[in-house]
Amino acid sequence: MNEPHPFSVEHAFTEAYRRHQHTHPALREAYCLQAQFPAIFLPIRKDDRFAGRIAYKHIGFSPQPHTGGVGYYCDHAALRAIIEAHPLSASDHRAVEAMLDFWRTEETRAKVRAAMPPTLAEALPSDAWTEEPGVVFPLYRMAGANLDYDRLLHRGIPGLRADVTAVRAAATPDSAAFYDALLIALNTLERSALYLAEQADKGGFARIAASLRAIAVYAPETLHQAIQLVYLYTMHATLQCNFGRMDMYLGDFLQHDLETGRTTREEALDDLIGFWRIMPSFEANLERVKFDLRVIIGGRGRRNPENADAFALLALEASDRVRGIVPQLSLRCYTGMNPDVYTRALDLIGSGATFPILYNDDVNIPAVMRAFDIDEAAAEQYVPFGCGEYVIDHRSFGTPNAIINLPKGLEITLRGGVDSITGARMGLSGGSLPDFSTFDDLLAAYQRQVEYFTDAAGEFQALEYRVAGQEAAFLYFSLLYDDCLERGMPMFSGGVRHLGGTYETYGNITAADSLTAIRRWVYEERTIAPEMLLTALDADFEGYAQVREQLLNAPKFGNDDETADAMAVWVLEQVCGVTRAQREKTALDSFLVVVINNSAHILLGKLTAASADGRRAGEPLTNGHTATNGMEKNGVTALLNSMVKLDPTIHAGATHNLKFARSVFTQHRPALEALLQTYFSCGGTQAMITTVNRDDLIAAIEHPEHYAHLIVRVGGFSARFIDLPPETQREIIQRMLWE
Amino acid sequence: MTTGIIFNIQRFSLHDGPGIRTTVFAKGCTLRCIWCHNPEAISPHLETGAHGQVFGQPMTAAEVLLIVEKDRRYYDTSGGGLTLSGGEPLFQFAFARELLSRAKASGLHTALDTAGNVPRGWVAEILPFVDLFLYDIKAHTPDVHRRLTGAPNTRILNNLDYLVEHGAAVRLRCPLIPGINDSVDHLRFIAALSRRFPQLDGIDLMPFHDLAAGKWRAVGRTWQLDEIKSAAPDQQAAWLNVLRAEGCDRARIG
Ligand code: SF4
Repeated sequence: MNEPHPFSVEHAFTEAYRRHQHTHPALREAYCLQAQFPAIFLPIRKDDRFAGRIAYKHIGFSPQPHTGGVGYYCDHAALRAIIEAHPLSASDHRAVEAMLDFWRTEETRAKVRAAMPPTLAEALPSDAWTEEPGVVFPLYRMAGANLDYDRLLHRGIPGLRADVTAVRAAATPDSAAFYDALLIALNTLERSALYLAEQADKGGFARIAASLRAIAVYAPETLHQAIQLVYLYTMHATLQCNFGRMDMYLGDFLQHDLETGRTTREEALDDLIGFWRIMPSFEANLERVKFDLRVIIGGRGRRNPENADAFALLALEASDRVRGIVPQLSLRCYTGMNPDVYTRALDLIGSGATFPILYNDDVNIPAVMRAFDIDEAAAEQYVPFGCGEYVIDHRSFGTPNAIINLPKGLEITLRGGVDSITGARMGLSGGSLPDFSTFDDLLAAYQRQVEYFTDAAGEFQALEYRVAGQEAAFLYFSLLYDDCLERGMPMFSGGVRHLGGTYETYGNITAADSLTAIRRWVYEERTIAPEMLLTALDADFEGYAQVREQLLNAPKFGNDDETADAMAVWVLEQVCGVTRAQREKTALDSFLVVVINNSAHILLGKLTAASADGRRAGEPLTNGHTATNGMEKNGVTALLNSMVKLDPTIHAGATHNLKFARSVFTQHRPALEALLQTYFSCGGTQAMITTVNRDDLIAAIEHPEHYAHLIVRVGGFSARFIDLPPETQREIIQRMLWE
Repeated sequence: MTTGIIFNIQRFSLHDGPGIRTTVFAKGCTLRCIWCHNPEAISPHLETGAHGQVFGQPMTAAEVLLIVEKDRRYYDTSGGGLTLSGGEPLFQFAFARELLSRAKASGLHTALDTAGNVPRGWVAEILPFVDLFLYDIKAHTPDVHRRLTGAPNTRILNNLDYLVEHGAAVRLRCPLIPGINDSVDHLRFIAALSRRFPQLDGIDLMPFHDLAAGKWRAVGRTWQLDEIKSAAPDQQAAWLNVLRAEGCDRARIG
């Protein structure tokens, strides 16, 4: 859209907020969203098959704004940079300054921070987890919504309006405001559809225009209309979206279109490719969004397995054709699944696509039952979102709102609660390594430290929900989340059935291997004195090469070694235990560890001192449930055997990165299939597989221009190798390649 | 219990027999191939390398099997098992017999990667414990064989006869080094073996790779093949063509 005045959308949004500042928060949100949509839509591009691309403004509302934050946001830094680079008239300038001033305290993120009681603020002093050392950091966002797209598609905009109107009739005043806000949000959605239809007409996109006009009035009837509605709705809900069990909710539309001859499989494939291409971040330009955009295919608990599998095959083909870093196509595998789907999936992985990510229902469903305390039918609806956290499709919400750096927790435990990089006090004091006369004393101190920080994380998670709920109804989530409508309560104010949270743990294996080495050399063999270890770590092993050598020679996770693996099991169980305990300590339904990864293991590693596993200061921490790079020396079967020792029933998802030489897929396919089958039957939960030629990776650093197609798995996301920062590229090259 | 000197145990080995295998490399060899890719395997003793690293570790058969057993589930699904390699794995004969017989008794599939230059008695004695022989063919005449490996191939071929006659499953493994032993005569010789022993399990051509030079330096030996390059794909295709022209179309690049 052309902006007649500088920042007109920001001003309009701010004005709507001000006017309704003291109105019911659901209504205030609805009015603000009116100022945001359709204003933030981008023009339809030449080859687009659907409309609805958006670009958020510097001020607005989003569950997970691009600025980092939650709900109402204001990108102070960007706005300021712009007005400094392009000076405005004095009055325009004053208006922008006034806006900036207003939002400083009105941003939801600021309100969450301000609501922290002093003890909590003391445990979580900083939000700058990429810049400052710390053990636990809060994250501000409402991530990982998995909406009820089935309901959206069956009811359509008019059906949803009828549903809201029906329950509105007998509502309490508080619920009535919520319902009214939902109706406004539905009107906004309809208005967006019609606005875009007009744009589509002007641009000569007749098919898009027709579908948009249809969904404004009816529930969708064709695959094209269905995709258009899913996309349009999602863009109203959040940019950092996850699409859940798409094969289930689009499978019937595909089948119906094919049966009635409305479309051919080729056309449907082109539409799906068109869908993949308008996913936010498809062009790798939206840093944060690539972590999400999950599309789940396969798995038990689909009402229409045949149609869904037909769609799953189409989705695999679409991903094969586009070779993008999104969507994060994820296949839930299970005994008795359609073998064609599995075969095509392995073909795709073997061709270097990094997708689909494989999940093992046979293990995960029972694990989810225990972790979430739910029955089997509910557990069958688990969906991984983002980097791999599980939620229960449109029944539970579990945004990760805190991260813990476990090696940092150990680091300060060894030093009596002092950060060895800054010398700042951190966490609990109470003795340093020389004071712990037994290894068990050290473990107990480490446990207390982790528990202290985890209590803070749980308290923060609950607090963020509370403040977010006070500030907004998250209308587009609430409308498509079970129970909100029936209960007359927004998502975070009692609406959602299971309000949980997740807690990202980093460097689990670094911490475990460090403890193993300390036990071996400091307490059992006594070849390294505690003081000596601390000095060597503080010196980053400069002048202590032999100490480092010994530490490196201690048993390491990933080698099927009982000692090292048992410690990794203990570290996981310990942190999972104190995390789960937040159910009793907070208002959360569940609070579960996720051992996922984006690039945080690299960023946190930079702010973590040398560790007793032999890792040097600043080097990456371990990634998910993977061994330290180069330390898995006994082959991939040994690594997998180590991985399956880690209990999957006590957390909400863990990532397992594996890198194979292309030749394993091309020349040893039966062995590879047997490997995966055995891993899954022994308890493997998940596998994210990259297949590469090592030579390609090295050549790509020298000649990036020739390797734009080279996609690798980093952790919780895929990336074009040439787009990655040098340290990540190095880390990936060093990662063990199984051949 | 007999102790063997082992220099490596490789799990998830896909190149030494069917399925997913664990390959156990024993030290000691009766040959001295000029291209040897495992120079640290030649001496039967523990060795200290140029950078202070120790090659070889004494292990009992039971200790080795403890490791091998860890991947049994992978063997079961893939049709894999244990491969004993070297060096010449029969060099430490008592150890080899104990390891393979125990493995066999516990139901593991066993493969033996041998150069065959060992006494007939050993071959006969080990036969019942081996499901698959990976049998090296390195040169076509006794003289050439002596020049390249330090010993003629007479005993090797006799042992091959014996094994095939006694119903052993045998897969030929033919290391081919460009310019050294990839002559047409040698390839014809391989084809002749193929015709003579139709019951062979298969024939693998193993293209030379020049990764071994560094290893030779590491164990303080002099590498003599500096100018050799790994075989290019078209060269590998040419080998297969010669074999095919001789009526052998079951050879594979392995
Ligand atoms: S037989 Fe094998 S181990 Fe022995 S010298 Fe020849 S290549 Fe080396």
